[in-house]
Formats: sequence, C-alpha cells, structure tokens
Amino acid sequence: MALAVEAATATTTGAGRDPRAWDFVRLKLRLLRNGFRGQAWRVVAFVFGLLFGLWAAGLAVLGFSVSADASPDVGFVVAAFAGTAVVLGWTLVPLLFFGVDETLDPARFALLPVPRMILARGMLAAAFVGVPAAATMLGTSGLVLAAGRRFGEAELGAAAVGAAFVGVVTGLTLGVVASRAVTSAFAALLRSRRVRDLAAVIIAVLASSIGPLQWAITAAVQQGSLDQQGSLDRAMRIAEVLSWTPLAAPYVLPYDVAEGQWAVAGLRLAITLGTIAALMWWWSGTIESAMIGVATGGAAKPVKGAGTGAVAALIPRALRGVVRPTAFGAILARESRFWWRDARRRASLVSILMASAVLPIALNLASSGAASRGRTSELGFSFAVTMAGTMGGMLLANQFAFDGNAYTAHLLAGVPGRVELRARAAAIALVAVPVQVVVVVAVTLLAGTPEQLPTGFGMLAASFGSAIAAAAVLSVLAPYALPENANPFAINSGGGSAKGMLALVALIGTLVISMPVLVAAFLLGSSAAGAWLVLAIGLAYGTAAALLGTYIAGDVLERRGPEVLVAVTPRR
Amino acid sequence: MAALALRGLVKRFDTKIAVAGVDLDVPAGSFYGLLGPNGAGKTTTLSMAVGLLRPDAGAAFVLGHNVWADPVEAKRRIGVLPDGVRMFDRLSGAELLAYTGLLRGMDTAAVDARARDLLDVLGLADSGRTLVVDYSAGMKKKIGLACALLHAPRLLVLDEPFESVDPVSAALIRDILHRYVHGGGTVIFSSHVMEVVEKLCTHVAILADGAIKTVGTLDQVRAGRDLEEVFVEMVGGRTATGQELSWL
Repeated sequence: MALAVEAATATTTGAGRDPRAWDFVRLKLRLLRNGFRGQAWRVVAFVFGLLFGLWAAGLAVLGFSVSADASPDVGFVVAAFAGTAVVLGWTLVPLLFFGVDETLDPARFALLPVPRMILARGMLAAAFVGVPAAATMLGTSGLVLAAGRRFGEAELGAAAVGAAFVGVVTGLTLGVVASRAVTSAFAALLRSRRVRDLAAVIIAVLASSIGPLQWAITAAVQQGSLDQQGSLDRAMRIAEVLSWTPLAAPYVLPYDVAEGQWAVAGLRLAITLGTIAALMWWWSGTIESAMIGVATGGAAKPVKGAGTGAVAALIPRALRGVVRPTAFGAILARESRFWWRDARRRASLVSILMASAVLPIALNLASSGAASRGRTSELGFSFAVTMAGTMGGMLLANQFAFDGNAYTAHLLAGVPGRVELRARAAAIALVAVPVQVVVVVAVTLLAGTPEQLPTGFGMLAASFGSAIAAAAVLSVLAPYALPENANPFAINSGGGSAKGMLALVALIGTLVISMPVLVAAFLLGSSAAGAWLVLAIGLAYGTAAALLGTYIAGDVLERRGPEVLVAVTPRR
Repeated sequence: MAALALRGLVKRFDTKIAVAGVDLDVPAGSFYGLLGPNGAGKTTTLSMAVGLLRPDAGAAFVLGHNVWADPVEAKRRIGVLPDGVRMFDRLSGAELLAYTGLLRGMDTAAVDARARDLLDVLGLADSGRTLVVDYSAGMKKKIGLACALLHAPRLLVLDEPFESVDPVSAALIRDILHRYVHGGGTVIFSSHVMEVVEKLCTHVAILADGAIKTVGTLDQVRAGRDLEEVFVEMVGGRTATGQELSWL
C-alpha cells in the first residue's frame, strides 16, 4: 500500500512532490477494486450494500420533499432533527456497532515522508469514498430539493438553495470527520490499560445521549395526535437548541438565509466549520499516534501468579472451583480473560454492554415519558431486555476472528467442535451475563416494577441462548478476517462489512427464535405465578437453544475447521 | 513405514497453482530438510501435510494415518511449529504451554512437569511473567517449539524454525532437535538457509514452483558439490551481470 502511494506520487525525476488528496482517493478506489478481484460474493455483498444505501437515501429524499409542503416551522424541525440524527449517527454508530472502514490504515504510511496535515487531509478525502458517505450525501440532498420547493419563488430563494447545499456538504464533512476522530481517539484510549475504564465511561455517556433524543422524538410523535400545536412548540424549542450546536447548525442554514438573517447564518456556519477544524486537529494528532503506536499496541503487563504450576497459572483462582483442567476448562479460562485483555474484544464488549444497558433505560424513559404505563411499557421492556440478551450473544458472531490465525493451535490439537463452541459460549456468558442481570434489575427498580424481574430474567436467558445458537452457526459458516490493525474499531471494507451485515440478519433471526418466549411473557407475565413460569420457560428455552445451536455448529466446525482458519487469517 | 508420506498434493489459489503434485516420503528417524526459495510452496505443502489447509487433490499420511480422513489419530502423533502464525499471545509462556497441553487432553501433573522442563531448557523460565505478545521474535519461535514438543509427538513438522533466531538460540534448538532424532523421533523442517541444512539434515528435498526438483539423502543431492550451488541451479536463479542498477 505504501509503495502504491509512492508510485502514485513519484515523478519521473524521482524528486518528491507532496501527495494530493486526490492521490489518496485513487489509492482507496484501487484497493477497493483489488479487493473485489476474484471474490464474486464480495461483489454481490457490495451491490446489496449499495442497493440498501440507495433505498435509505431515496426514502430520505422523499421524506424531505414532502416536508417542503408543510409550514416553515415543521420544515425547520425536520431539518434540525434529521441533521442531528445524521451527525450523531456518524459519530456513534461506528463506536457501537460497525466500526470504521480502515482500508487506508494510517500505520502503513509511517515510513513515508508525508506531512501530518496532508496525510490527514488525504485520509479524510478517502473516507468519503464509500457507500455510507454517498448514501448520506444523496439522502440529505433532499434538503436542497426541499429548500428549492419551499423558497424557489422567494426573493432570496437562490441564496437559500445555495445555503442548503453548503449545509449538506459541511454537515456530511462534520459527520465523517467526527466518526474518524472519535473512533481513533477511543482506539488509543482502549489500547492503554490505564485509562480504559475511563474510556468505557465516556462511551456510556455518549451512548446515553441517544436516550434523551429518542425520548424527545418519541414524545413529540406520540403526543402529536393529541395536541398538535403544543407538541410542535416543544419540538420547536428542542430544534432551536439543537440548531445552535454543530449537530444541526449546518442543516438549518437555508431557513436563516431565506429570512435574510445573514448574521445568524454566518454564526451557524462558523460553528460548523470551527467544529470541523477542531476535530481535524484532534484527529491528525491521533493519526500520528496510530502510526507509531502499532508496535506498542499491546503494551506489557507482567502476569502475576508465576512460580506455581503452569496449569494453575492458566486457570485463575476465581475459576478454579468451577473449571476442571480439560480442553473445555482451558478454552473457557483463556476466553474469559481475553475478553478483557485484548483491545479489540474489549472495545466490542464494552460498547455492546453499554448499548444493552442504555437501550432498556432509554426505552423505559420513552414509554414512561409518553405516560402510557401498562401493557405498552411492558412490551417495551420485553423488547429491550430481549435486545440486550441478543446483542450479548451476538458478540460471538465472528468469534474465531478475534485472535487471527491463532485458531491454528486448536486445529492442530484437534479440539472437538462442540467443546470449542460451548467453552467460548460459557466464557462470554461468564463475562456478559452478570452485567446484563444488573441492568435488568436496575431497569425494573427504576421503573418501579420489581414484579417484572422474573419475566425479564426469563427473556434475557431465552434471547441470550438463542443468540449464542445463531452466533455459533454464523461464526462457523461465515467467518471473516479482521484487519491486523491498531484500531479496535477497524473493519475491512467490502467483504468484511458485508459479512458484518449478516450479523444483522442473525440478530433478526435470534429475535424470531426467541419469539415464543416473548409471546409467553406477554400472555403470562401479568400474574406473579405466570412471571415465574416465564422465568422457567426462558431458562429452559435458552439453554436448549444454545446446546442445540452449538451441537449443530460444532459438527460443521469439525468438517470446516481448515476453511474457518483460512477465512480468519488476515490477508497481507 | 514412513513417518510422513505425501501423495500427489495439489493446492490452487484462485488461478495460481501453489503446489503442483508433491510426493514425498520422510523415513522414520530421519532429519529431513525441505529447501526452497521464497514462494516455492513450502508452507503450503507443510500446512496440507498437518491438516491446516485442505488440499485440492492428494493425501498425507502420518505414521500410516490419513491426515484428512482420520485427523484425530494423525494429529495426536505430530507436533507442529507453524510460521507466521499468531499464538494466543496474551498469555504468558507457562500459561500458553498449559493451554496447549490441556487442549491436547494431557493431565495436569504431566503438563506442569513438562512445561517447567521445556521453559528451563529453552531459557524462557526467567520470562515466566511476560506475555508472549511482548516476547522477541526468537523467543516466540522457542515457545512455539515448546508447544510443539509438549505432548512428545513422534513426528515434528517445523516451518522455518531458524528464521529470526539468534545464533545462541539456534544452536540450542539444533541440540534439542538432534537429541530428539537420536531418541527415535523424526523431524521435517523447511528452510532456505543452506548452512543449517548441511549441518543438520540426513535427507533433503528441494522444492521450487510447487514441485519437488530433487530429493534424496544429503550426499545424494549434493553429489560432491556445494549444496548452495546445487540449489541455485535447481531453482534457476540468475546472477548479476554488473550492467543493472548502474545509477546506484
């Protein structure tokens, strides 16, 4: 990759000129194209991603166009909320779920004489190349159309349309820069053992910022039918506040311009550009540390407990009573430690656990905010707990890739597939379930409905077990390599993210599998005896699903072991 | 019976044929060197021989057990040191050995005793508290070798065991392997370092472009010449004429 840049930048004399942003874009396009070569399924997956992006963008354009016919206030609110969703989405989604596309890995540029700012600018330009950015651009361009329809005949119409265009472009830039800056900053934080707990807390705070927003929107929508004017006023107040933050500032520009409020528009543009500049500066700093930080990625920490036997050192004291020294015990002991010792695993573990903590709380707030206690809030609770359990189990959806080709050791030792998958499942249960139990308890106590506890635990068990089953099958059938990269949020473009989308399918599959218990919870959950029955059903259902899933997947793994190894081996 | 027998192994990656039908018999008790330039297919061949990479055609037998039809019995008898493969490197050396032993179903007492011995002999006992991820390249080779030896296999398959190992450690590894062969074990290892091969091996095979170019005992292959000379001739390397790179 480094050589390619050199080739792209070298002139005939061999003397250097600094690479331009365009060179990075070309390099990324080339890399994407080479990634597709001879990989038909990657092309298919890419096309699906493209179609999905087009579909989403089309919906957005349609929505914005329709909003052009409503009153200017509604248009303002829509622009502010949609803009906030776009920018927040770009910032948070990579942290929580998908990671960022690191086709261009900054570490590969470490040996090239490229100035930092030029490198940052080039990486940014390359970051725009991709389906998400294109879909966002296309979707938000609906705002330009809407501005055209709304202000087309007005005196400052052309200026407003121009402002809308500027807003859409700067808004997208802000989102892309924010996604890069935030993930690489957190990558650095999560790499260092000293501050990783702080990083976890910050992610939690960021994630919980979804909560109030969701509450506001839900409340606005639900009350909309009751008293239209009141809810619009409330939404307007929120939109006013948002429009002075970088989240919505770029997207409401046309409304200021159309009214001739040039000062306000200028201020909002300044807020946006200032934020972009600050994020760029921050990001270019972390790029440098990402470039040199690779070698020190997993800094040394002495392991305590030497001197005793090797086996005793492997199986931690806390586990010694439970775990016997067998292959199962060894894998369980190692896995449960690696979830915390390995930066990449830690990153996904922390974000998923935080999301599964925030989601129920947010949903609970939303339903109680709508003042609709009773069956609806119960349903919301059921859904949130099911999601939490599902996401916990889904951590294993690509479980073999976390350690790269270290799976070789298992293959050489001929570990039985069932033992392998069940030990890994037991380890994630050991790590994730206690947290989720605490979350369920906390949510029921906060909502003042402790009688929901047994139902909640039942559904947690059922969804977690179903997710383990789905993840076991998925991890054996569609494993993919994670890049050997200092950034734990990095994923490979094209193939990797496409298979990551499969996890979404498995997520829905899990929800379907655990549906019977959800139904049982809805039918039986209202009485105390029924609630305990749901707990029993949920535990039995989850255990059975996990055993069956690992049984089937274990069989497949024994036949497909070498293929799994090839799939998770990073290509150099 | 041959300790390792390869029959017509073929592997194709996309359009490129990496290994084009390799037949090889490694006699029990031999010290076998698999020589070849970079990209000759050494790692691919050895991976197929030990059950890590499924061949497109052909079969591999370890002491009579078919690696791909009866992997459990075959894998029980081989110790493997792969090259360029990550280990579970967030464990310390002792923990990694314990892990490998338990994976292979050994009992605790045997694992503890052998792990202590191996760490002592390989000079890794002092680093008992360091994670493998923080080991030097040479130390990683040594802990990998220890993992391969732990269950006392009858056949050792080593991919580039001397790569990036310092001379002192290399001498140590040579000693251990010598003793292992003396005790009735069989070693096959890949390398492109002639000196090591000449010093150690009883048998040599030269692999280039995915095919065996020549095979036999060390003396047969050398035929009175220098091994390096034979190697370069077999592989078809070029020599510099002095015209190129004049701008250097």
